Amino acid sequence: MFRGKGEPLCRKVRGLLSEYIDSSLSSEDKSFVEHHLQTCEGCSKELESLRVTVRLLHSVTEVPVPRSFTVTVPEPKRGSAFGPASLRWLRPATAIVAIALVVLLAGDFSHAFVNNAGVNSGSNATYIQLAPSYVATEQQTMVTVPGVMGQMSLATAKAVGYTNYNVLPSSPPSEAATQPAPGVLGGAGPSGAGMIAPQGEAGVGWPLRQIEIGLGAAIFVMLALIIVSRRQRREKAHAR
Amino acid sequence: MDEQELISRSKDGDVDAFNLLVEQYQRLVYNLALRMLGNAEAAEDASQDTFLSAYKAIGKFRGGSFKSWVLRIAANSCHDKQRVARRYRVVSLDTLLLETDDLPQSNNTESPEDYALRRELGRFLSEGLAHLPEDQRLVVILSDVQGLSYDEVAQVTGNSLGTVKSRLNRGRTRLRDFLLQREELLPSKFRLNK
Repeated sequence: MFRGKGEPLCRKVRGLLSEYIDSSLSSEDKSFVEHHLQTCEGCSKELESLRVTVRLLHSVTEVPVPRSFTVTVPEPKRGSAFGPASLRWLRPATAIVAIALVVLLAGDFSHAFVNNAGVNSGSNATYIQLAPSYVATEQQTMVTVPGVMGQMSLATAKAVGYTNYNVLPSSPPSEAATQPAPGVLGGAGPSGAGMIAPQGEAGVGWPLRQIEIGLGAAIFVMLALIIVSRRQRREKAHAR
Repeated sequence: MDEQELISRSKDGDVDAFNLLVEQYQRLVYNLALRMLGNAEAAEDASQDTFLSAYKAIGKFRGGSFKSWVLRIAANSCHDKQRVARRYRVVSLDTLLLETDDLPQSNNTESPEDYALRRELGRFLSEGLAHLPEDQRLVVILSDVQGLSYDEVAQVTGNSLGTVKSRLNRGRTRLRDFLLQREELLPSKFRLNK
């Protein structure tokens, strides 16, 4: 801003003026600056203007705080297992369980889970179409193989490679249910393709109904928890 | 209770002890925020954020100057606020500066003319500070307005001593140039180029 005579020297001195004002220069630098200032009017003016600027800044006083900035910590939740934080998972979990239940029920009503696959019994393969609720899985269907002692599951017999086996009947839930549709079951030759007997409820092989009941109960409990926690939150907000 | 004990208790979760520290430093923090941001409301937010962050992070405080530590958090908080203000261009900081009642010194014997003069000068200084780059502004405020030593400024900003000195020199020169350019608007007794 203020022109000096020896520009490179002036530039060096001006770089030190701020520290000179704050009296933080070494004695060597200080005497160098002071010597230069005696001969350079531009740098002297520069120093004076900087001093006034710093004095102006020093004259600025602190403004009082408009309010207190003390920190308030929320009170710990007292003995409630149904606090909003602890039950944050509840809503999505309920939704997931509800969706699972709907899928199971839909599958159950449309008999999508029923095993109605056929039984391949060698060259005399016979497709046995039974009513869905009477169909058992290959794991549950027991067979005997000629020349082999004992029984094994149909799945095992297939896995081992036996094509000639006799399917053992198992006890049907009702007499009518065990009767295959006329014309459907046929061609059971000497090789012994047999009827697959019903086993277990709905012929699914896993406790579908129990799972459905369990999921329904879980949804009921979860909904109750949601209602209780919501009521507690409302009461808290009201108390505040 | 001395500061070290208050810090120790705060680390153990004693919020009352921490609030005693807040009361001790809130004026310093608020004034830094006010001069960095140029807006009282933003300065309040930044100050509150500073003490909340400090309370959460007190366990990480490893000794040294608590004042420098809390001012460093305040500087970061101001930096965040300025970044958000720049991104969303909420309001220009230069406009906001005119709203602040930034008055140096006041006493009961002051004449209305002196009051007006002082107020005008405060406004010029605020405008001048707002024209400085953020890093220079922080150093100038910490050193010349809040009276911190070079070492303390270096701790707050996390810069070397050489960087602090260089930024202070450039900041002061820049502010001086700003005031010189508007010298005809300055009260005669405060003119720099007499």
